[in-house]
This record gives sequence, C-alpha cells and structure tokens, in this order.
Amino acid sequence: MAEPGLRLVPAHGGADVDALLARVARGDSRAFESLYDELSPAVFGLSRRVVRDPARAEDVTQEVFLEVWRKAARYDSGLGSAKTWVMTIAHRRAVDAVRRSESQKRQDDRAAPDEVNHDEPAEQLIRTEEHGAVRTCLETLTELQLESVRLAYFNGYTYNEVATLLEKPLPTIKTRMRDGLIRLRDCLEGQR
Amino acid sequence: MSTDLHTLSGAYAVDALSAEEAQLFDKHLEECESCRAEVRELRAAAARMGSAAAVAPPADLKARVLAAADHQAQLPPRVRPAEAVRRRPWLTRAAVAAAAVAVVAGGAAGVSRLGDDEAPLASGVTRVFEARDHREAEVSTEYGEVRVATSPSRNEMAVDARDLEPLGDGRVYQIWSIRGSEHQPVIALVGDVKGASMAMPAEGTTVAITIEPSADQQQPTTEPIVAVDPRAV
Repeated sequence: MAEPGLRLVPAHGGADVDALLARVARGDSRAFESLYDELSPAVFGLSRRVVRDPARAEDVTQEVFLEVWRKAARYDSGLGSAKTWVMTIAHRRAVDAVRRSESQKRQDDRAAPDEVNHDEPAEQLIRTEEHGAVRTCLETLTELQLESVRLAYFNGYTYNEVATLLEKPLPTIKTRMRDGLIRLRDCLEGQR
Repeated sequence: MSTDLHTLSGAYAVDALSAEEAQLFDKHLEECESCRAEVRELRAAAARMGSAAAVAPPADLKARVLAAADHQAQLPPRVRPAEAVRRRPWLTRAAVAAAAVAVVAGGAAGVSRLGDDEAPLASGVTRVFEARDHREAEVSTEYGEVRVATSPSRNEMAVDARDLEPLGDGRVYQIWSIRGSEHQPVIALVGDVKGASMAMPAEGTTVAITIEPSADQQQPTTEPIVAVDPRAV
C-alpha cells in the first residue's frame, strides 16, 4: 500500500461491463447500479479533470449515466467496447460543459500553458492497473505529442486552441495529436 | 483534401474539432471504412487514458443518479432499416428549403414508433400524427430524432420531440416559427411538454428548434438544431 487514503480498486475485465450494459439495455436497474459502481470513478475522474469544478463534474457524471441508461439499447458493440462507449459519452459531455462555461473566460486568459500539468492530488486518485499502463505508454510520446493530446483530452481545447497555446502551426498540432494517440494505442495494445 | 481530412481522426477522436469540422468529418467517416476503424481504436486508447484519471465520486451522487434514472424512460432499440435516416447535423437556415428530410407516408414505419414507452404526447399532437391524411417526416439532429407531421384536413402540424435527449443546466428546447427575419416563439419544451401542435403555418414559414438557456426567450440565442419547412413534409 502506498499513500494513506489511496484506494485500490480491483481491475475488472471488460467483459463484465459489456455484460452489464446488455442487461441495462433490457431495463435492469440492478445492472445499472453495478455499472455505476464499475464506471463512475472513471467517469467522474475524467469529468473532474476536464471541467475542474467538482460540483460541475458531479452534474456531468449524472448526465453521462442518464444518457447511458436512456440509450443502452442503442449501443452498438461494433463501434467499440461498452466501457469505451461510456467514456466517449463522458468526454463529449465534459467537453461540452467546459466549452459552454469557459468560452468567455478563455478569451481572457488565452495563454495558460501551466494548465498542462494539473494532476489531481494523490490521495484522490484511484490506482488501477490501467493507471500504470497508461503512464508507461504516455512516456513513449514526444513532448509535443503528449502536450497536444493532453490539452485536447483533459482540458477540452480544440486543436485550433492547442495550436495557439503551444504557438505551433495548425497542421503540426493536427498530426501530432493523431500520431500521439496512435503511439498510445500501439503501446497499450502491447500492455494488455 | 481527403488526406488532409484523414489526419483529423486524432482530433476527432478526442472531441477537439470545431462543430463545423466535426460535421465535415462525420460525412467523411460515412465513406471511409479505414477512418472509422482508426477513430474506433483511437477512442479506445483515449478512453483508457481517461480511465487512468479515476477518482471516487462523492458517495451521495450514486443515489441521485439512480433516482434520476428511475424517472427516465429508456429509448427502444433502433428498428429502422439500414437505409433510414443517417445522423444529420442541424441544417442551416439557407439549407432549409432543400431540407432533404426522410419522408415517410403515414404508414407502418410511423405507427410502430408511436409504441415508444415514453411519456404520452398531448392529445392535440397525437391527433395530427393519427390523422388519416397525415404525412410524417423524421429528422435527425445532434440531440436525437424529431418527428414532424402535417395534416391537410386538420390544417395542423405537430412536432414529437420525445427522442431529444434531456438538457442540463436548466436549458430548454424552444420551437420557433420563422418567416424571413421574424421569429415567433411557439412553445418551450419544459416538464411534460415533449411536443407541440399548431395551425399549419403560412407558406414560406419554417419551424425550427433551438436550445435556449431558459424558457422565456423572445429571440433565438443559438443556431437551430433543426429547421423544417412544413410544406415539404
């Protein structure tokens, strides 16, 4: 065990979540509760990173799970795993929220590259197996790839805004973002 | 152009495109199998990165989410045939006249969808959808499908917006009738109001839905998520 307060959460196989979502699609509210237990730390953690304000992150988390409940029967497994589906919804909702509330503020403090590093305090982080693999794999990205991916994914910036923040040409950021994600994908494949 | 578009897959996978670019890329995806595969994989990688940021939510959030879901109807599985309406981003006002909505005669396709296990529509709305001579169209928006029906014998039109996803932050869907530069608020979809019926608007009038910060707007503050010429239904 490491820091006090650090909660170890067993890493579950993706199959559990897929099976749960299939039951949710049939209106099984107990499966929905289990799905919430399974995925709410990931959804809340991501929302929290993107919108920053904890109360807003709770709202986003609620919106995400309601959308999952509503649309479970329309989930198409051909488009990815259930967990990816939920996290994709979570990211879109969080980004929507941050763009709505910060479009004005953005105008004011356009250059804030210090936002690149704002890791959550360690005691709140839930350590999953994912955590180690992702950290290892992010280290394989070049600095510019990493910053492009993180500013877009965790701060909700468009690649246009990222280019402005990092003072790089648009096409450069566009390709670095893609190359970075491809490198992350390839590395994570090897870590399974 | 297509090579250029293709490199947007990374930004698209992490929601880093502007709304306009995302629409362009959506179109591109429909024709590009390898791009769809790439987006799928990059999203999976991004999702794992997001999961690594997991933080335990406050314990009381769970009860709130479960209670909210309890009051929320689920959407039925998609039963439409493969060639049915594709996800169609909102139409700009200029494109309204040409709005290629998928027109369904008032037959089987429309009726089966009335069986959705969602809140019932006001009787005025149902009357138009059930009128013997009604014509019906389904239009896709970024927020879900909207059904529109018109009935010449009743000289009415109706909108069924039950499939639109709920909005947060007190925002509402607002229906407008638009003629030239004039915008008339028709009704805000609040509470149990999930649709509207109205007298058939005059020729040259379009009916549009916007998302508004509150229910009392006199002018739209956002671009329509959908706009329909009722005469084209």
